[in-house]
Amino acid sequence: MNNKSNSNQHSQDTDLDTLQSDIPVYSGPIVGATLSALLGFLTLVISHHVSRLTKGLDQTIHAYGHWIPGSTGTGPDGSIGSYSGKETLALFVWFTTWLIFHCLWRKQDFSLRALTPLLIGTLFFLMLGLFHPLIDPVVLFIAGLFGYASP
Amino acid sequence: MPDLQLLLNASTTGTITAMAHDAIDSHQLTKTLIRFQAICALALLVMISGLDLFFPTQYALQAAVHGISTISALVVSTYMTHRAYFLLRGATVNYKSLRKWTLGSTTLNLLGAISGNWIYMRYRGQDGPKEWIMQNAPEFHKVLMEFKEFVSLFPFPLMVVACFALFYYKDGIHFRHDIKQFIAIIIMASWFFLMLGFVSGLVLAKLRFV
Repeated sequence: MNNKSNSNQHSQDTDLDTLQSDIPVYSGPIVGATLSALLGFLTLVISHHVSRLTKGLDQTIHAYGHWIPGSTGTGPDGSIGSYSGKETLALFVWFTTWLIFHCLWRKQDFSLRALTPLLIGTLFFLMLGLFHPLIDPVVLFIAGLFGYASP
Repeated sequence: MPDLQLLLNASTTGTITAMAHDAIDSHQLTKTLIRFQAICALALLVMISGLDLFFPTQYALQAAVHGISTISALVVSTYMTHRAYFLLRGATVNYKSLRKWTLGSTTLNLLGAISGNWIYMRYRGQDGPKEWIMQNAPEFHKVLMEFKEFVSLFPFPLMVVACFALFYYKDGIHFRHDIKQFIAIIIMASWFFLMLGFVSGLVLAKLRFV
C-alpha cells in the first residue's frame, strides 16, 4: 500500500519534472490576496478605535452591520453591537480590494522574498494596534488632531 | 545467559533469530499508534468544551459549539504548521492532500469565527460575563477581550489566502519555491493568531463563564 503510494508520488514527480516551466506562474495573485486581507485587518483596527471615540461614531459604524443576525438586541441574549459593523466594513474592504488587486496583478510578478518581512512586520504592527495600553495614547493623539479626543 | 557459540551458529544459519525475536511490523505499529494517539488527543481535547453541554447555563449549546470548533481548528492548524515545514524546505509534498487539509482548516476557522459571534452576544448580554468582568476585573475586558475579539478574526482570512493560493496555482506551484515558502509563512501566522485568540478566550471563559 505504502510502496504503491510512494511509486505514485514518484511517477507524479517525474511527470512534473518533464513539464516545461514555460507556463508562467506569477506571484501577483497571492500578493493581491495577502494585501487585501491585511487591508481588511487594518479596517478592523481603525473602525474599532474610531467607534470608541464617541457614541455617534459607534452608532454610525454599527449601522453597517445591521444585516448580521444578532447585531441588535437587548436582554440576557444580548447582541454583538458595533462589532457587526466593524466586521462588515472589514469584509467589504477585503473582498473589494482583493478583486481589484487580482485583476491588476494576475500577470504581474513581485519579489516574495522582499514582501515576507513586510507581511510579518505588518501583522505584528496590527496586533500591537489592538493592544490598548500601547495604542490608546497614539489613538488619542491622532483623534485630537481631528477634534475628537476626550480627556 | 545464552551460549554465545550457539547463538552465533543459529544466526549464521538464519533459523533462530526470527523465532526468538518475533517483533511486530514497525511501520504498521507506528502508523497505528500515531493514529490512536491523535484520535485520543482530539477526543479528550474536544471534551474540554463538549462537556459544556451539561453545564448549568442556558447558553451551553453556544459555549460547546464555539469551544469544539475552536479546539478542532487549533488541532488542525497545529497539524498544518507541521505540513508547512515541508513547504518551507521545498521537500516532496502531497499537494492533493494538502489542499484538502487547508480547506478543512479554513472551514473550521470560519466556524470558530461565526460561533464566536454567536457566543459574543451572550457575553455582552444582561447579567452576562462582560457586566461581571467590568465590575470585578475591568482590565480583563478593556485589554484582553478587546484584543481577543479582533485577533481571533485574523486566522480565517489568512487561511483563505493559503487555500486560494494552493487551489489557484495547482501544479504550477512546483516551479515557484518562493510561493511555497510564502504559503507556509501564512499558515504559521494563522496558527499564531489562532493560539493568541484561543488562550485569551480560555482565560476569559475561566474568569466568568456564560
